[in-house]
Amino acid sequence: MALIVLDALTKRYPGVTALDDLTLEIEPGIVGLVGANGAGKSTLIKLLLGLLAPTSGRATIFDLDVRTRGTEIRQFVGYMPEHDALPPDTSATDFVSHMAEISGLPRPAARERTAEVLRHVGLYEERYRAMGGYSTGMKQRVKLAQAIVHDPRLLLLDEPTNGLDPAGRDEMLELVRRTGTEFGMTVVVASHLLGEIERVCNYLVAIEAGKLLRAARLDTFTEQTGVLAVEVEDRADELASALVLHGLDARAVGRVVLVALEDDRPYDLVRDAVAALGLPLIRLEQRRHRLEDLFADAEPGETAA
Amino acid sequence: MSGSASVPPFAPGAPALRGSPGGPEGSIYDLGYRNYDGPRLGRTHAIRALFVHTLKVCYGIGRGGRAKLAPFILLAFATIPAVVAVGALALIRQVGGGQIPEEASPVRHDTYYGIVATLVALFCAVQAPETLGRDQRHHLLSVYFARALRRTDYALARFAGIAAAVLVFVLLPQLIIFFGLVLSAEDVAAEFGREARFLPGIFGQAIVLSGVLGGISAAVSAYTPRRVYATTAIIVLIAVTPLVSAVLIELGAISLATLLVLLSPADILAATNAWWFDSRPESTAIFLTDLPLEAFLAAAAVITAACAAILVRRYERIAA
Repeated sequence: MALIVLDALTKRYPGVTALDDLTLEIEPGIVGLVGANGAGKSTLIKLLLGLLAPTSGRATIFDLDVRTRGTEIRQFVGYMPEHDALPPDTSATDFVSHMAEISGLPRPAARERTAEVLRHVGLYEERYRAMGGYSTGMKQRVKLAQAIVHDPRLLLLDEPTNGLDPAGRDEMLELVRRTGTEFGMTVVVASHLLGEIERVCNYLVAIEAGKLLRAARLDTFTEQTGVLAVEVEDRADELASALVLHGLDARAVGRVVLVALEDDRPYDLVRDAVAALGLPLIRLEQRRHRLEDLFADAEPGETAA
Repeated sequence: MSGSASVPPFAPGAPALRGSPGGPEGSIYDLGYRNYDGPRLGRTHAIRALFVHTLKVCYGIGRGGRAKLAPFILLAFATIPAVVAVGALALIRQVGGGQIPEEASPVRHDTYYGIVATLVALFCAVQAPETLGRDQRHHLLSVYFARALRRTDYALARFAGIAAAVLVFVLLPQLIIFFGLVLSAEDVAAEFGREARFLPGIFGQAIVLSGVLGGISAAVSAYTPRRVYATTAIIVLIAVTPLVSAVLIELGAISLATLLVLLSPADILAATNAWWFDSRPESTAIFLTDLPLEAFLAAAAVITAACAAILVRRYERIAA
């Protein structure tokens, strides 16, 4: 049974249609909600939470209507907003345990869960300090912690990697992946960065201008042939020509050599060629071809922020 | 590839391989996540928790030292006259000043609300915007409304919490006087019997006061995240209305003045205080408008209810 069911869900503001007749079923798992800024991702999340009322249509979570059964649903839903949502004069411990209580947990349980969850998101001694002095990375962690402290069955994350540096992004994505797999929550991650979201999701929903663009399981793509991106420190051109000599379809783009991947043969050849040339290899990455097709209808560049 | 293009070249491709250097991530992993199978108490528990939280926030508890400064300084000022009066009385009793009637003291149950009125108004004007404004300033409404609460629950729990904070503020000095008088007497039981007649007045007036002033200050504060605006508006509402009604009485516009007096929190509270303690109201406006004191009690109830309704309506509509 689908966890979230949207039936012709529509939200109109004067002059703008934020969500247009969205019909969709979302199964348990880690769901990426992709779209450009203003595509309607946040609107959809707020409708699911009952923070906004739909203009028309219906949405259910756990088979309960979000309009009428909001408080029951929200006992089992966690929400990490896009914007800053932390009082600066309060410590992470006090804030998160207060939020656990507002989700219905008794005080002792709220305290216990807070300590556990803050450890899980990687916040230690600093959890007793006022949050005003936290770095963006720490703030994002607290925002995630307050969203999972009551052990929800559904977690809605709105741009969780916003404002983070590359290392912070990777850590946050890893946390999201663990939340979905180890913690057993269904996670909906809204992001305008497809490249990021595809690393942790197993289901992808793409929306544009409030309309559903495409929804599909991601693992159907993993078997697809794709492109191997080989990043080297310099002399990418030489590597590309060496690979072409071995009969591969390769071309250099800046410091990256893109190699067409029909079978496993290129891996060995790339390894040998890199070793033969003595190049410092930075990374090897398999890129999926088909994922872009999801956005074939979208304006180019719009999804890639 | 469209997405990958946005990832800076130095970002590792496989996030799972990268932990914070030297960080204890491995040990977190080992502890494992435990699901919560305990009770979920839902809405009523959430409302209670929010009420208690509001009361604490009003006194800066759990918010660092600076947040406690204003409420506790005001509370100290409101309490000092009570402590001094009780101390002086106890001293006189000790040295055997005989039966000096308590009525001789300027600080009594029936006069106390008049003495601290300004401080109570200041407490409301400063702490209500502080409490409600911070939720709007720091975008906390969306994380509250995304939980096991309704918007109405939020509005009423915050209102009740602010009113309770005011209640504590005005009851503390009154109870200091009460217990000071009772416990410093030679015959404690007899003194308690004499003083107990003031108890309904002490609590009754405190409840009326916290409803009216707490309500007005909460209703005003809900409309702006900016503390300065809210504080100014509250002070104007409380301090200026009695002046205007006094001027209107001077000008002879009694009917207009009557209406305004029934809307003026300061006049209403002076009148209800007189009603509870069976004394003369301190405001001349109340005499001149020639209204029964019960009318002010009703006005207080109406204002409290109206403020609650305003709050509910405001939070029904506010964007979160």
